[in-house]
Amino acid sequence: MTVQREQLEADVLIVGAGPAGLSCALHLANLIKKHNAAGTKPELSAENIYVLEKGREIGAHQLSGAIMNPKALDELVPDFQKSAPLDTPVTDSAALLFTRNSSLRFPITPPPFQNKGNYVVSLSKITKWLGGLVEAAGVNVFKEFGGADLIYQNGGVAGVITEDKGLDKNGKPKDNFTPGYELRAKVTVLAEGTRGSLTKKLVAAKKLDNLNPQSYGIGIKELWDVQPGRIQPGYVAHTLGWPVPASMYGGGWIYGLSNNRVSIGLVIALEFANPQFDPHAAFQTWKTHPFLKRLLDGGKLVRYGAKSLPYGGWYAMPRSFVDGALIIGDSGSFLDSQRLKGIHLAMKSGMLAAETIFEALKSGDTSSKILGAFPNKIEQSYIKQELWKVRNFHQSFQHGMLGGFFHTAIQQITGGRGLIDPMRAHPGNEAYQKIDGRPAPERFKGDGKFTFDRLTDVYHSGTRHEEDQPCHLRVADTNICSTKCAVEYGNPCQYFCPAAVYEMVSESGGAPKLKINAANCVHCKTCDIADPYQIIDWVVPEGGGGPNYEGM
Amino acid sequence: MNIIVCIKQVPAKDAPLAIAGNWIRESDIGFEMNEPDSYALEEALRLKEKHGGEVIALSLGPERVKQTIKEALAKGADRAIHIADDNFAQLDPLGSAKALAAAIQREKADLVLTGLQSDDHGFGQTGVLLAGLLDRPHATIIMQIEVTDGKMKLKRELEAGWFQWMECPLPAVLSIQSGINKVRYATLKGIMAAKKKEIATITRESLGISAEPTQKIEKIYVPTKTKKTEFLTGAPKEVAAKLVEKLKFEARVI
Amino acid sequence: MKILVATELRQGKWNNASFETIVAAQQIAKDTSSSASALVIGKSVSAFADELATKNVAEVLRVEHDLLEAYTPDGYCVALKQVVESAKPDLVLFPHTYQVRDFAPKLAAMLGKGMIGDCIGFRNESGKIVFVRQMFQGKTAADVTFTGAAPWFASFQSGAFRADLLAAHPSGKAPVNSVAVSLSAEQIRTKPLELFKEAKSAVDLTQAPLIVAIGRGIKAPENIPQAEALAKSLGAEIAASRPICDEGWLPMERQIGSSGQTVAPKLYLALGISGAIQHVVGMKGARTIVAINKDSNAPIFEIADYGVVGDIFEVMPALTEALEKAKSA
Repeated sequence: MTVQREQLEADVLIVGAGPAGLSCALHLANLIKKHNAAGTKPELSAENIYVLEKGREIGAHQLSGAIMNPKALDELVPDFQKSAPLDTPVTDSAALLFTRNSSLRFPITPPPFQNKGNYVVSLSKITKWLGGLVEAAGVNVFKEFGGADLIYQNGGVAGVITEDKGLDKNGKPKDNFTPGYELRAKVTVLAEGTRGSLTKKLVAAKKLDNLNPQSYGIGIKELWDVQPGRIQPGYVAHTLGWPVPASMYGGGWIYGLSNNRVSIGLVIALEFANPQFDPHAAFQTWKTHPFLKRLLDGGKLVRYGAKSLPYGGWYAMPRSFVDGALIIGDSGSFLDSQRLKGIHLAMKSGMLAAETIFEALKSGDTSSKILGAFPNKIEQSYIKQELWKVRNFHQSFQHGMLGGFFHTAIQQITGGRGLIDPMRAHPGNEAYQKIDGRPAPERFKGDGKFTFDRLTDVYHSGTRHEEDQPCHLRVADTNICSTKCAVEYGNPCQYFCPAAVYEMVSESGGAPKLKINAANCVHCKTCDIADPYQIIDWVVPEGGGGPNYEGM
Repeated sequence: MNIIVCIKQVPAKDAPLAIAGNWIRESDIGFEMNEPDSYALEEALRLKEKHGGEVIALSLGPERVKQTIKEALAKGADRAIHIADDNFAQLDPLGSAKALAAAIQREKADLVLTGLQSDDHGFGQTGVLLAGLLDRPHATIIMQIEVTDGKMKLKRELEAGWFQWMECPLPAVLSIQSGINKVRYATLKGIMAAKKKEIATITRESLGISAEPTQKIEKIYVPTKTKKTEFLTGAPKEVAAKLVEKLKFEARVI
Repeated sequence: MKILVATELRQGKWNNASFETIVAAQQIAKDTSSSASALVIGKSVSAFADELATKNVAEVLRVEHDLLEAYTPDGYCVALKQVVESAKPDLVLFPHTYQVRDFAPKLAAMLGKGMIGDCIGFRNESGKIVFVRQMFQGKTAADVTFTGAAPWFASFQSGAFRADLLAAHPSGKAPVNSVAVSLSAEQIRTKPLELFKEAKSAVDLTQAPLIVAIGRGIKAPENIPQAEALAKSLGAEIAASRPICDEGWLPMERQIGSSGQTVAPKLYLALGISGAIQHVVGMKGARTIVAINKDSNAPIFEIADYGVVGDIFEVMPALTEALEKAKSA
């Protein structure tokens, strides 16, 4: 269907209103303001900065634990302590080793888990607040719009096409069909977060891959209101051990917020051997540990969510610039997987991108010649300092916890070099071992009051999509699902998706067929990452759809 | 045709409700345009496209309702009026209608449109009350509007699959049935233009209307099931007979 | 306290909800040692008024005028305002019909009063009547009371009271009195035209008093006619949980749940529905919930009033037959 698209032009187009995208927008707006005030030519306008956000509101799709290092926010908004919704400073950082029935607190909390000076925050609230500042600065933030396709021109990126709205599930226009816009910009910034869909395309098209493929984890979170006195605000604990087997990488977190609210969750690296492993079930099982039971007993589930995280670090970082575009934040692998800190690095990457773009706009040259200054700025900033030290961290764990501890201990005393530098990694989706006829495991049911099945949890994610729209999970060949995948891996999508989107359903005795409940999707991108044949392509659904991570 | 659309901002449909007395805790939940009102807005925009004129979005509530007002502007309303009132959730239907009517009276509107009811309080009276306060003819549950020469022909929905045509002069107040049109998406240009459109903010107090409530919500609560589930056992025929009896005599639903 | 029930005629016949409202009035009257009266409004309604007089009401008021032959909001408001001013009831009750929604709030406002609409019941708290209605689309209930002096106006949801409990007049007949109202053509600004029936293009399940809903347990579209037959014998609308509509076995407008319609009917019969929370939030406001599912652990049983652990393909036809038998009995 050839569609007439309305064209719009911006100076800068930022895809994604998360901490990276918003920091880029705000810093750039501030630079422009000072520039105009000094009368320097050419005159620029913050109104020519467009930010696209696929969620219903800014913050709707933001999910993190989270512990935030305030250093980037301090640079961006110097009086942030007065106005930012910081919830509570960290008061106690614990590392706990769980066995089935006991927990042991490390007498000295290992340095990566120390969090003095940091804050327990709701990333959703922080971005919402930051978004307010960005809009007040005159930047145009368009909610309920996603980036569906890149526009290329002369070999470089010239902008983004937003998604078509008002197509029915067969792709036919409805009464209110509104084609996506052709949004052209001098510089496009991809700040889509983990496993960005446009980023994925750009990295493939322009061969921006680094030494290592990206590695990912999946984080599954619940927000609870608990009985008074069960937890101190600012109490931060990370758990190792049960129920994550030593062959897998993962652990839990327990963060005390104010007003008797707790954030709990489990992260598992998406490179496990058992294709029928269910991360959501592991999280629910973790909740049955006596430590958690004591904490949550008598409490109430407030919200649920899940998101993948880019663990790969420095050697998995794609080249961050091309003609006309920059990649920042989680899309650009700016996450310290050892310290589990990505927010301040995302923000800093956004700010450095803003500085780079500012020069480009002033000079009128938005080619890689000027944009190539971005990685240099990264090199000279604390982003490099922090990520360089942990450049081999995640890759050390590819073969289990013990090996990981061994290698990272050596890395700790060699500034990150360790025994092997760089440590090579394999894509996580290639780690599966064939099931060899092993029967499907029983699915976790939950008791409905304390542990929950996925459908109940999904309900608490507030996820909503326009029902009558094309399916946004594009599976290249569903025959593979019924045949090859069923035999080799037992259809892992049924297990790794934390939102019960994928089901294999046998109709009247025939071969099982893939059923996709797209409306349940929480936009975590796990399927795009973890599918063994890489035939699942997550594309942006109609804007506004997705979870509602208010307070997360 | 100058049309005023009354638009209410309500808690997001799937927001977890934390009951606090006779309202809910507003922290940590999202708010959105009341869905029935979005159909009224869409209808107004279509009438404007057909007959020219102006569409004014009118809303009542605390500062946060500006978000919903901006949505209405982004979709095509020309300007907006915000009656600021932090205590809006406590107003009874007549109190809200009086405030809206006072603001409407300052404008020259041919038509006032409302949705059928709000997804939170669900009183379903605003349109009818406005008609009374403004002393205008009105009709409710409207499925179709045709305007010719200052008069309207309206299709009204009745119960059990019945409908009725009726004639109504202008100016008038109409409550619009949900689902009668496909609501349009806000366009990028519309969102940008909305930033420059006027939102006139007035306080409810400044409208000088009395605030005597006629009714009070004492408390809201989750209804507890007083009965335990009664399981009916036996062969299908037995169970069926038992069930019919229960439905007829105990539950009294057939 | 004097209670007055405004009954409703529809196309020359009683709207039965009127009787339910009289029952409500009788109950409130009993609780508060008050009297309950009723009125009939229209062009020539003496036969209806006489019929009402055989019920246990203190008085029947006949409100007649040529201009009241067809319903118009203006006509009814102007006429009933005069009736209320002369009869001086404390509490005026209506059945919550489409027609009542169209004029009753305005009538109350014309008298400077408010209306509590769509109530599902009431409680007597030491002489003060507390009205109960639903909020947040049935997710919560709300206790509402009147503030200020009478008259007070309220309407009851269809099915909240049982019409067949309407007691007969203890001594045979209540007095029937005419109330003269003045009404001129200029006061009636809207003009009702033809009534017609139409296959509704949009299904409004929220107005259906009885709903039969199917879930995954129905297994295949070929089995849906069995459920439709059951719905027909009940006089119910057919609805479904999300997976059924997703597959296209029933149109999307028939979907009940967080991403479909939210309903609160008198009766919700759930066939082969597990009761996932996404579905339950769309129907747990139903007055009576019956669940049939072969899984005794299905969460639907937690909110059901009546449960049958069994095979829907056996229970459906048996139930249809039993209902047909009850109808002809």
